[in-house]
Amino acid sequence: MVRSLRRAGDEPAVAAPQLRVVTDDVYADWEAVYRDNIDRVYRLMFAKVGNRLDAEDLTAEVFVTALGPLRVSASVGEVRAYLLATARTVLAGYWRRTLGREITTLDEDQVQVVFASSPVSADSRGRAAAILAALPQQYRRILELRFLKSCSVREAAAELGVSVGNAKVLQYRALRRAAQVAEEVDQ
Amino acid sequence: MSERGVRRFVEALLRGRRPRAFHAEDSDVPELRAAITLRAAAPGSDAPREEFVTSLHGRLAAQLDGAQRAEAEKTPATGTRRRLFVQGTAIAAAAATVGVVLDRTLTSVTPESPPTGQTLTPTTGLWRTVATSEELPDGGVRPFDLGNVVGFVQRTDGVVRAVSGSCTHQGCRLRLDPPTRRLNCPCHTTAFTVSGELLVHQLPIAPAPLPHFQTREVNGAIQVYAPPAPA
Repeated sequence: MVRSLRRAGDEPAVAAPQLRVVTDDVYADWEAVYRDNIDRVYRLMFAKVGNRLDAEDLTAEVFVTALGPLRVSASVGEVRAYLLATARTVLAGYWRRTLGREITTLDEDQVQVVFASSPVSADSRGRAAAILAALPQQYRRILELRFLKSCSVREAAAELGVSVGNAKVLQYRALRRAAQVAEEVDQ
Repeated sequence: MSERGVRRFVEALLRGRRPRAFHAEDSDVPELRAAITLRAAAPGSDAPREEFVTSLHGRLAAQLDGAQRAEAEKTPATGTRRRLFVQGTAIAAAAATVGVVLDRTLTSVTPESPPTGQTLTPTTGLWRTVATSEELPDGGVRPFDLGNVVGFVQRTDGVVRAVSGSCTHQGCRLRLDPPTRRLNCPCHTTAFTVSGELLVHQLPIAPAPLPHFQTREVNGAIQVYAPPAPA
């Protein structure tokens, strides 16, 4: 809010005003912050934990933590960067508590990406598609059926024309392979 | 490899349940990560539920209204203080990356910090001129250095006030950032308002607000009560 800031007058003893890279847009109140960002933060968390309940808890933690100290006079960009920084800490804490390893992380450079016009889901879909595309057909199909189409093992087995036992083994191997592929995709 | 843990984790994701905690090995990480990536790509599953959005809104409203009440009653809420500032480091890191000055968003919750610092009262003091009235228009801020004390004098709504120019953490000399009217500490990313209130810090314990000088305006001279000039 550079507009609202008062200049120090014609003060020769102090340095010239520094340029600040901030947008002039600000939120009207905390509710505006919430309305504008709840969807993105939730989607971001969902992409990082893969289940609704944890994504909801972590999203709540982000807003509860962030909105207290947040000054509404901060610009939209500042508020979002702050929410994201909070989300990163919250996510790291979640993995520390549950698995003791940081399975997924939030990078600072995602600030731009997360709040860009395209939704978070487009990014995670793109990554998933890239991983699946690199797999042998049976592996790709079992993972598509189970993860993307939410089929049960039984349904997936029927679809693939294999036994339930085989479907389980196939899924297990396919996921291991997908993990290798994903590491290559990420590099 | 905690095969069982991984399998149960993946199964929970597929059933839309909350995975149970288990001790994951490093070698489990890629598989768990891949499972999350794939599951998160399931169509239609990533939008927040309406009920969730509404209920969280209610929780926040209760929390924030509560904080406002606490402010009105001047109830210190020191319990939450430390936690807020632990976040500070991460925010600063994000700020550095995006090249945006984020420090204003680090701002502490003012209800928790005492609004004003102590008044600096030297045992032997003198009224010493730090500026002329013309040099300090309304809204103006001016640094001063009297040799044994440094500070900033400012006029807001016609009232002249002066604060110490030394950071209350470790005594580094504060620098005025004119566009934001903030006093920044060069040592630890601490910042104060020109009236001495703590704005931002990343320290485990919040530094005290800046001490005030007694200030007066006499015959076009702005004076602070300070120790006598060094001989």
